[in-house]
Amino acid sequence: MTIFLASVGFGLVTASVLAVAAVGFTLQFGVTDVLNLAYGAVMIAGAYIAYVINQAGLNIWVGLVVAVVACSAGSVLLNSGIYTPFQRRGASPITMVIVSLGMTLIIEFGTQAIAGGTSVSYTMAQGPSVRAGGLVLTTVQLVVIGLSVLVMLGTHVLLRYTRLGKAMRATAANKTLARNCGIRTSRVINLTWAITGALCGLAGVIFAMDAGSFDATSTDLFLILILAATFIGGPGQAYGAMLGAVVIGLATEISAAYITPSYKYVVAFVALLLILGVRPTGLLGARA
Amino acid sequence: MSSYYIINLLIYAAVDATACLGLNQQFGVAGVTNFGFIIFQAAGGYTAAILALPSQSANGGFQTYIGGWNLPFPVPWIGAAVVGGVIALPFTFLVGRRLRGDFAAVGLLVTAVLLNLLVTNYRPLLNGSAGLSLIPQPLQGEYNPQSSGYQWTLTAVAIVVCALVYLFVRRITESPYGRSLRAMRDNDAVADSLGKNLLSLRTAMLVTGGAIAGLSGGILVSYITTWSPAAWGYAETVVLFAAVIIGGAGNHLGAILGAVLVPVGFEEVTRYIPTSNNLPPNLIPSLEWVAIGLLIVIFLWVRPQGILPERKRVIRAGAAASPPSAAAPSPPAPPAPVSAVPVSAGPVSALSPAVEPPVDREVVLEAVDVSREFGGVRAVDGVSFRVRHGTLTGLIGPNGAGKSTLLAMLAGTLPVSGGKIYYQGRDVTHLPAYRRARLGLVRTFQLASEFKRLTVMENLLTAVPDNRGDSFRGALAGRRYWRGDEAAAIARAEALLERFGLDGYANSYAGDLSGGQRRLVEIMRALMAEPRVLLLDEPMAGVHPNLARQIGNQLVALCAEGLTVLMVEHELAIMDEFCDPVVVMAEGAVLAEGTMAELRSRSEVVEAYLVG
Repeated sequence: MTIFLASVGFGLVTASVLAVAAVGFTLQFGVTDVLNLAYGAVMIAGAYIAYVINQAGLNIWVGLVVAVVACSAGSVLLNSGIYTPFQRRGASPITMVIVSLGMTLIIEFGTQAIAGGTSVSYTMAQGPSVRAGGLVLTTVQLVVIGLSVLVMLGTHVLLRYTRLGKAMRATAANKTLARNCGIRTSRVINLTWAITGALCGLAGVIFAMDAGSFDATSTDLFLILILAATFIGGPGQAYGAMLGAVVIGLATEISAAYITPSYKYVVAFVALLLILGVRPTGLLGARA
Repeated sequence: MSSYYIINLLIYAAVDATACLGLNQQFGVAGVTNFGFIIFQAAGGYTAAILALPSQSANGGFQTYIGGWNLPFPVPWIGAAVVGGVIALPFTFLVGRRLRGDFAAVGLLVTAVLLNLLVTNYRPLLNGSAGLSLIPQPLQGEYNPQSSGYQWTLTAVAIVVCALVYLFVRRITESPYGRSLRAMRDNDAVADSLGKNLLSLRTAMLVTGGAIAGLSGGILVSYITTWSPAAWGYAETVVLFAAVIIGGAGNHLGAILGAVLVPVGFEEVTRYIPTSNNLPPNLIPSLEWVAIGLLIVIFLWVRPQGILPERKRVIRAGAAASPPSAAAPSPPAPPAPVSAVPVSAGPVSALSPAVEPPVDREVVLEAVDVSREFGGVRAVDGVSFRVRHGTLTGLIGPNGAGKSTLLAMLAGTLPVSGGKIYYQGRDVTHLPAYRRARLGLVRTFQLASEFKRLTVMENLLTAVPDNRGDSFRGALAGRRYWRGDEAAAIARAEALLERFGLDGYANSYAGDLSGGQRRLVEIMRALMAEPRVLLLDEPMAGVHPNLARQIGNQLVALCAEGLTVLMVEHELAIMDEFCDPVVVMAEGAVLAEGTMAELRSRSEVVEAYLVG
C-alpha cells in the first residue's frame, strides 16, 4: 500500500510536469498546425538556461523565470524564422514534421555541444517533506504541482474568457475563415508560440527539478510521454491534453512501482500506439 | 592510405546505399514516411548475428542471447532480409487509410525509440546495452577473414548486393505499379478513389523496404562483427532521411549519391578534424548532429527536390503503336478508341438511349435514406434518390446543401452515418472507395486533385484498371510481361487527350497546368478508369465557358455511348443545356427532381435556389 501511495505521489508530480508540457504542445499543434517535434529540445534548452543562471549563484526560481522568457522568445523565432516560411510555401504536414525533426537535432545537439555531455543538477533546497493522507511530497514537488494547477487554470481562463483565447480557438478551427472574420491570425499565431513557448520553458525547468539530474538528451523519452498525453486527449485539445497527462503520468509511475522502472515508458508507448491505431482523434476528439 | 581504410569506406558506402535505396522506395517513391526505418536495419543485424553466432556456451558465455544457431553463410543474410520484412507487418495498422501521414510517422518514430530502450534494458534477449560481439564472418572457417583477399571479396559482394537492390527497386519504380505508388504519394485520397488499395500498397512498401533494410543490417554485422543498441538510435533514421532528401527523393541514383555524401561523408570528414585534449569529448559528435539537422532544413528550403531530382517519365506519342503484337498475350485494346468506355460495360447496347425516356431506364445507382453527421451537424439528412442508366443527372443546391458530402458517400470516400447505397443492384454501403472504383463507380474531386509530380499521360495511365504491371508481382515480372497492356493504355490515353484537346500536354507535369486544364485531366483520368457511373464534383468550376460547353458536349456523347454521369454543378446554364434529370438539394435533403423546365416552375425550388 505504501508503495502504491508513493507511486501515486510520483505520478502526480510527473502528471503535473507533463500537463504543462502537453498543453503547450497541443495548443501549438492545434492553432498553428505544426507537429513540433523540437518541443522536447526547446524544453531541455530551457532547463539548461535555468542551470546557467543557477550556477551563477542566483536562485533557481530566478532561473525558471529567465528560462520561461527565453523559451517563449525562442519559440516565436523558431516559428517565424523556420516553420512559417515553410508553411507559406505550401510544405506538406510530412515536410513540416521532417523540418521539426531537423530542428530537434540542431537545438538538442547544439545544447549538448555548448553544455557538454555530462549530467548536471540544480543547486536547490528540496524543503521539508509534507505528509498528506499517506503521500509524502517535498516542498519542491508541491510547488511543481501548484504551478501546474495554476497553469491549467490560466489556460482555461485564456481559452474560455479572453478575446485572444477565442481568436486562438477560431484560428485552430479554420484559419482562413478566422482571417476573413477580421482576426489577425498571424498575430494570434505569434502570441500562441509565445505562450506555448513559455509553457515549454516552464515544463523544461520543472522537468529538470523533478528528474534531479539531466543532460541534453533527457527529453527524448519525455517527448514520448508528451505525445502520448496529447494524442490520448486528441491532438489540438487543451483539456484533452490535461486528461491525457493525468492518465499517462499516473500510469507510468504506478506501473514503475510494480515492474522494472526502466520499462515505465512502455505503458505510455502502448497507449500511444493503441490510440493512433484505433482512435486517432483522441478520447475527447470528434469521431473521424 | 591503407587498403583497410578503402575497404572500410566501400563497405560502409555499400551498406548505407542499400539502406537508402530501401528508404527511398518507401519515402521518395511511395510517400510512406517511415521514421522507424532503423528498426528494420537493427532487426536484420541482430538476426544475422544470432543465426551466425554459436550457442552461448560455445561462445565463452560472457554474453546472453537467444538463438545461437551457428548457421553457415548465406543463411544469416537471408534471415536478416526475411526478418526485416516480416517485422514490418505489425506496423501496417499505422499506415492504413485512416491515419494522417505525419501521425503515422510519429508513431513509427516513437516505436523506434521504445524498441531501442527495451533492447538496451532487457539483457537476456540480445545482451542488452553491451550488444553482441564476436559475430562470425561469412565462411570464416574456410578462409582467413584477416587476409586482404577475403576483405576485398566481402567488399565486392556488398557492392554487388547494393547493385542488385538498385535493379530491384528500379524495376518496381519504373513499372505501372511504381506509377501507382507515386500517385499514392502525391495524393492518397485520389489514388484510393481510382481503385488503388492504399493499405496493400503501403504494406508492400513497408515489407520491401524492411527487407532491404534488414539485408543491409545483415551485411554490416558480417563486416563489423558486432551490433549493439548504440548503433541504431532513432537519430540514425534521420541521417538516412537526410541522405535521401539531399540525394534526391524519388530518384534511386540520388539515394545512392546521398548515402555516399551524408553518412559516409560525415564519417570521413570528422576523421580529419584534429583531436585536441582541450576539446570536450562530446563536442565533435554533437556538432555532427547539428550539421545533419542543418543540412535537412537547408536542403528542404533551397533544393527540396535534392541534388538528383526525380526524373520525368516522358512517353512519346505513337510509342504505343509499335510493339503491341510482339508483346506477351494481352487483352485486346478497346475496339473504339474514340470511346473511353469499353462497349462491354453493362447491358448498354440493347438499350437505345435516344428513344427511351430517361424515367424508364434501369436504375444503376440508388441512395436510400442516406445521412451523414459531422459532430452533431446533419450535413445529409435522409436522402433517397435514383440515378438511371445513360443519363447525365445534375445535382444542384445552395452551398452547404450536402451535395459534395453525398457524392463522397456514394463513392465511398466518406462512410455513411445511416442508410444504404446500391450500385447496379448491389449493396455497396460498406465497400471501401477503391473497391467501388474497381466496380466502375468512379468520382472526381471538387478541389484540384491531379497527381502533381506525374505527367498528364501518367495521370491518365494511373487510372487504368487491370494493367498486368500494376501489381507487385507484375512489376517484378518485368517490362516484357506488361508492355502490351501498357501500350493499349497509352493508345487509349492518347485518343482521350486528342478528344479533349490536350494532346500537346501529354508530357507536362500535371502540377504545371492551368486550373481549367487540370479539371480536364481529372475528368479524363476518371474516364480512363473505365467507369460505368461517373460522379463529378463541380467539374466546370473555374473553367472557361467555352471549355465548359465542350466538356458538357463530350459528357453527353459519352452518356449516349452508355456512361452514366451524376454531376454536381452550380452553373444553371450548364444544367439547362446538358442535364436531365436534375436533383435539387437544400439543407441536407432532396427538395425536388425533374427537368430544369419543370423545376423552374416550382416555387419552393425557385425560393431555395434558383433566385439570384
